Amino acid sequence: MSGLPESLTPATKKICRTMTDTTIFKARKIITMDPNCPEATHVAVRDGRILAVGDERCADGVGNVRVDERLSGAVLLPGFVEGHAHLMAGGLWDYTYVGYHDRTDPDGQHWPGLTTIEQVIEGLSQQAQKLEPGAPLIAWGFDPIFLSEERLSRHHLDRVGTDRPILVFFSNLHLMCVNGPALGMAGYDSDSRVEGVVKDADGQPTGELQEMAAMFPLMRRLGVDFRHLAQRESAIRAYGRMAVRAGVTTMTDLFSTLSDDDLAVMLQITAGSDYPLRIVPVLGAAGGQAEELAARAKALAAQSSDKLRLGAVKLLTDGSIQGWTARVKWPGYVGGQPNGLWNLAPDQIFELCEVMQREGIQMHVHTNGDEASEVAIEAIEAAARKHPWPGHRHVLQHCQMMGTDQFTRCAELGIAANIFANHIWYFGDQHAALTIGEDRARRMDGCRAALDAGVRIAIHSDAPVTPLGPLFTAWCAVNRQTMSGRTLGAAQRITTLEALYAITMGAAYTLKLDGEIGSIETGKRADFAVLGEDPTAVDPKSLKDVPVLGTVSGGEVHLT
Amino acid sequence: MTDTRLPLTVIGGYLGAGKTTLINRVLSATHGRRLMVLVNDFGAINIDADLLESAEEDTLTLTNGCVCCTMGGDLFMAMADVLDRNPRPDHLLIEASGVADPQKIANAALAEPDMRYGGIVTVVDGRNFSTLTQDSLIGPQVRGQIACADLLYVSKTDGQEAAPALQAINPEAVLADPPTAPIETLLQEFGQTFEARGKPASHPAYTHWTGGGVRMFGRDRLAKLLQQRPDGLVRVKGFVRGDDGIGWLVQVVGRDIDLSRTAQPDKTQLVAIGPSARVNREDCDSWWNEKAPDVQPDALCHPSATDTKFREMDT
Repeated sequence: MSGLPESLTPATKKICRTMTDTTIFKARKIITMDPNCPEATHVAVRDGRILAVGDERCADGVGNVRVDERLSGAVLLPGFVEGHAHLMAGGLWDYTYVGYHDRTDPDGQHWPGLTTIEQVIEGLSQQAQKLEPGAPLIAWGFDPIFLSEERLSRHHLDRVGTDRPILVFFSNLHLMCVNGPALGMAGYDSDSRVEGVVKDADGQPTGELQEMAAMFPLMRRLGVDFRHLAQRESAIRAYGRMAVRAGVTTMTDLFSTLSDDDLAVMLQITAGSDYPLRIVPVLGAAGGQAEELAARAKALAAQSSDKLRLGAVKLLTDGSIQGWTARVKWPGYVGGQPNGLWNLAPDQIFELCEVMQREGIQMHVHTNGDEASEVAIEAIEAAARKHPWPGHRHVLQHCQMMGTDQFTRCAELGIAANIFANHIWYFGDQHAALTIGEDRARRMDGCRAALDAGVRIAIHSDAPVTPLGPLFTAWCAVNRQTMSGRTLGAAQRITTLEALYAITMGAAYTLKLDGEIGSIETGKRADFAVLGEDPTAVDPKSLKDVPVLGTVSGGEVHLT
Repeated sequence: MTDTRLPLTVIGGYLGAGKTTLINRVLSATHGRRLMVLVNDFGAINIDADLLESAEEDTLTLTNGCVCCTMGGDLFMAMADVLDRNPRPDHLLIEASGVADPQKIANAALAEPDMRYGGIVTVVDGRNFSTLTQDSLIGPQVRGQIACADLLYVSKTDGQEAAPALQAINPEAVLADPPTAPIETLLQEFGQTFEARGKPASHPAYTHWTGGGVRMFGRDRLAKLLQQRPDGLVRVKGFVRGDDGIGWLVQVVGRDIDLSRTAQPDKTQLVAIGPSARVNREDCDSWWNEKAPDVQPDALCHPSATDTKFREMDT
């Protein structure tokens, strides 16, 4: 307040500051998610928090207010909460996107999906022209599961160029395809003895490299480091820009390694008033040492700030269904594939659950297959019998194959479910045809079953696995439409309002932040999603097309 | 003539099998080698205070030249950091997590030109492994850890009882009997290069053998011969004369037969080691001196992909 006369006492200064710091945002409509005042047109904001909600007179009597008309044509909802995403979603945009589906990068550039190998070659060629001679071309997002033609090979990539190494990550990041010069960098030829170096009928490498061991020599030589993809400043900034475009104001990083250096960087970036996102990094249980993990989680919790919320932990139990690494109950995979892999042994899951429960540390537990969710539920139940803690709010993440029986147990035990609704669109057809078959695919990602069983739910994108976009995620849960256009499991659909609740209050609940965010309600953070249309008024089939104009984060307006 | 690649040995085994106990012994042993050990966490690492030079958040430095690091969230990126260390360690040991497939880690040594395969050692708790291997949830992964091993080490019992069941899962692996054979001796041997020390470490539990002669070999013939070596000869290393005037650097660890080119030696210099219970020198001599001429030089002349034949990947 440098403009104030120097004669004013500090006390008067404070009053003046407060009075002039109240802003009323006027909107076409405000959908609050607060049942006491479901709709409004004005919201008053002071010090980054909601002072009042209602009509133009909602802030009468608080003194001078400034009316901000910038959002007057927009529809406001509580800022969306993405309860399951990864910071790498920001970092990957340092590389060229060549996926099958359309995506928009953090700066708003639209990247149309590439649906044939020829289009991939064309897209890479355009990108190569922008690079220095000899500079490596690195791409991501390629997914052969959607391409019925031949396999991508070095010969395709050699057509893009043989004057530079070219490396194309598949969308799951477990595979890549590279060109001839890149094969040469790793010394891969017909003599290579590595399992993951795929060879053709003549014994020559095809360019496809499977799993980390085979990809490692190239990543090392081209400086691709998954740790930095998730932790460098550019990735954290890009994460914030992505959030604004998706209407998201709070987002997790749901398997964080969080070294002291990483933490310092994140604290510094998120502390800036220009940074538009509250991040909830969740510490990954990598080694499985329960006591050490608990101590680290507690030390992190003590360093939380408004925009960086620390203290929860993530357990990774099984793999993925489409990778046939999820642990599934009988009758298993329809193609007869062997059951999946545990990333933590059931014994470790029980031990971790017991120690976290004892220490009062909230857990997010990755469970894709129904055998994994069963083990997780049993481990939490066993822990709860030893160390009662009614408010634990542990969350099962993905919950893809859970039926009513498991959801009922979750409700009994106070376990929340963050359901991977986006899978219905992206992989629903594959699940019905290839992984678990029609019967179990129909009940996949069963939001209806969970709600009817009394479970608190959120729904998520798992970005970068599928694109960040809570309105799209809500559309998936409401329509359950697959890529082929069919409705998969109509009985599991939920209403638009239920879905909007899941991406606001529901997700806030899973992060134990429902007292601060998730609704537009006096006392909460002034976090809003700024939309171009009313999502409750459009045809539910168009929910995903409601335009996102930006966000308000702690009272700061960020428009795209 | 030197092999500058970093040997990688993976120590696998289910939770509580005794991996850390083995690592503690290897780290503390007097061997004159700069070992680098990557572990999941320091939880059970127990280094004698006299041997500890410095301890940081993620690195323990020992006075004997060994270093022990936690791998953090990403094993492969940690491996890249080790390769970038100057000077590079003599031998990298990685403790696989209790559910990890050790083969997937060891494959990095087959892929990375700056590394060399130094074997998979799977530690098995002799008391509970038969229950574990039949467990409906974790059994397949535990069996997988046993099936990919070059060396099986039974902890907590004398190993006799477990031997038949282990051999049923993995007939090719060498079984180390802990009461008689200090496994750390053998494990260090996996990392040694010919240059660093010609003769294997001496211990009565192990039989050493040396091979010589001036015969010359092509790749296929030499690989085939090494594949037919006497059972139990778990480590073979040295130089062999090539039939094209270029020499062969031989590195055999368990099932992996690694042949690379080097200057033509004047004569063959091979050294090998295996448990005395399984190996005797006469068998080795007769294998090397008598069987070799029986190998048909042209029997295996498919130049592409031949090497993969000599390594049976885990299933």
